[in-house]
Amino acid sequence: MNDDYLWDGSGKPDPEIQKLENALARFRHEGQAPEFPAITATRQPRFWERFLPSHWSFGLAAAAATILFIAALGILRWGQKPNGASEPGWDVESIAGTPQVESTAFGKNAGSAKLGVGQTLVTDGHSKANISIADIGTVKVEPNTRLRLVAGGNGHNRLALDRGTIHAYIWAMPGEFTVDTPSAIAVDLGCSYTLQVDDSGAGLLRTKLGWVGFKLDGHEAFIPAGAVCATRPKFGPGTPYFDDASASFRDSLSKFDFAASTQEERSAELAKILAESRQRDALTVWHLLARADESDRGHVYDRLATLVPPPAEVTRDGILRLDQKMLDLWWNQLGLGDVSLWRTWERSWSPAKT
Amino acid sequence: MTTAPAPDTTGDSSLVVAAREGDRAAFGGLYARYARMVHGILLARVPANDVDDLVQDVFLRALPRLCDLRDATRFGPWLAAITRNRANDYYRQMRAVAAVTESLPEDEAELPASNTAPDSEAVMILAFVRSLPDAYRETLILRLVEGMTGPEIAARTGLTPGSVRVNLHRGMQQLREKLSQASLGGTIHNDSSVSRNSTAQTKTLLNRRNQP
Repeated sequence: MNDDYLWDGSGKPDPEIQKLENALARFRHEGQAPEFPAITATRQPRFWERFLPSHWSFGLAAAAATILFIAALGILRWGQKPNGASEPGWDVESIAGTPQVESTAFGKNAGSAKLGVGQTLVTDGHSKANISIADIGTVKVEPNTRLRLVAGGNGHNRLALDRGTIHAYIWAMPGEFTVDTPSAIAVDLGCSYTLQVDDSGAGLLRTKLGWVGFKLDGHEAFIPAGAVCATRPKFGPGTPYFDDASASFRDSLSKFDFAASTQEERSAELAKILAESRQRDALTVWHLLARADESDRGHVYDRLATLVPPPAEVTRDGILRLDQKMLDLWWNQLGLGDVSLWRTWERSWSPAKT
Repeated sequence: MTTAPAPDTTGDSSLVVAAREGDRAAFGGLYARYARMVHGILLARVPANDVDDLVQDVFLRALPRLCDLRDATRFGPWLAAITRNRANDYYRQMRAVAAVTESLPEDEAELPASNTAPDSEAVMILAFVRSLPDAYRETLILRLVEGMTGPEIAARTGLTPGSVRVNLHRGMQQLREKLSQASLGGTIHNDSSVSRNSTAQTKTLLNRRNQP
């Protein structure tokens, strides 16, 4: 279908789109620019500028600034705070107990600490923390968690979750916030999610809003709202499923993904999964196309075609040879989000160096 | 294919620089360029009745933070992020008064003051657009409500033209399906992707439209 009119208003007008435009025009922005306050548009004075009289000479001001800087440095070293307020990093506040940035603990009354790149935040069994990232989102850190800030800023914000639980609420552009775990990398695509990692490095990601990409070594999983995905060291991301799936469905899926089993045993588990799959489980079945052994892939194709018929451009042969374009087209048919969102922002998310 | 030229965003940098120095006219220029984008992003997320106030609030929040914007050419994506952030704040604040809003009838929450038939239809269509996945609804609202072209949406928001085009195409496809289902009656009620609020509102509006 030619969508030039939808794209830029050129080409033959589409009457249906015109009707929608006309109907929705009443919601269009019509407001005039408000009277903006002039004073607030100027640069906010730096902390030290507030203490310098405006008529001071530049040299005097510079000398005063140097003295203040040296004094502040001394105070900071003496106080052994987690980080100075002037240092780059993400703001961390204690919600409960005394979380630690590096070796320095801070309580609820200590104000915010800074988590700098390369530094570690640890919560014990009684402490919780909240990380605020300007224009990116917030990350709530549960007890018994250890994480590191791997990179921050310039559209590349990255945490490494060694163990524990975090709740991420991200409003940055898709792909700008990632979390490394020992067995997969979680890539935010505009959402809210909870990520858990146990001491063995096994992880579980639960998406509440939007969706998350889970990836390791070319093994990828898309996890929309309401879905869950496990990950294991040496295996990488498992197959995502909706959290209202039956216990037997989830059990078979776990065995299929992570159990050390023979091909016959995997085929048997796959058969159970396909037999139990509901319409909503097209999410899981689509992922199984790439995970199933070649000899079983035809069964997966047939089941998914029953649940969600493939678009016209998708052929059985193409899917059996795992044609990426066809797989993506079929994914888009599931109504769970456009895979181009992932492809557009996909980068080479290699595991972080530790 | 004839493609409309992408809007000129090269002048943003000079406007940002001037606005940082306190030039109100320059900030007004940025407002003129980006108000529709901000309005559309908000309309995709918060009740229509509150959007106009929030548009001004977004700009008033952005104004003192212009000095934090390192790359003046990225004003659009930066402002879009602030806008999404403001929409999230809106719901955080709303939780505090949830008890009050929950007592309101769901289907009246976003109805326009004059509930004439064309208005009802517009509200219904907007509810359908807002029930689409995140990736589509923002782009589709910028196109269908704010009247921005695809190239303009890409230039203003920082998304790639390819992404915008795909979002428009797929979003429109899903919107057609939802409208088609609604006109046939019935199936929309089983569509779990439609938000609780939108579903209830749409049910009521459809019932009203079907009444003699």
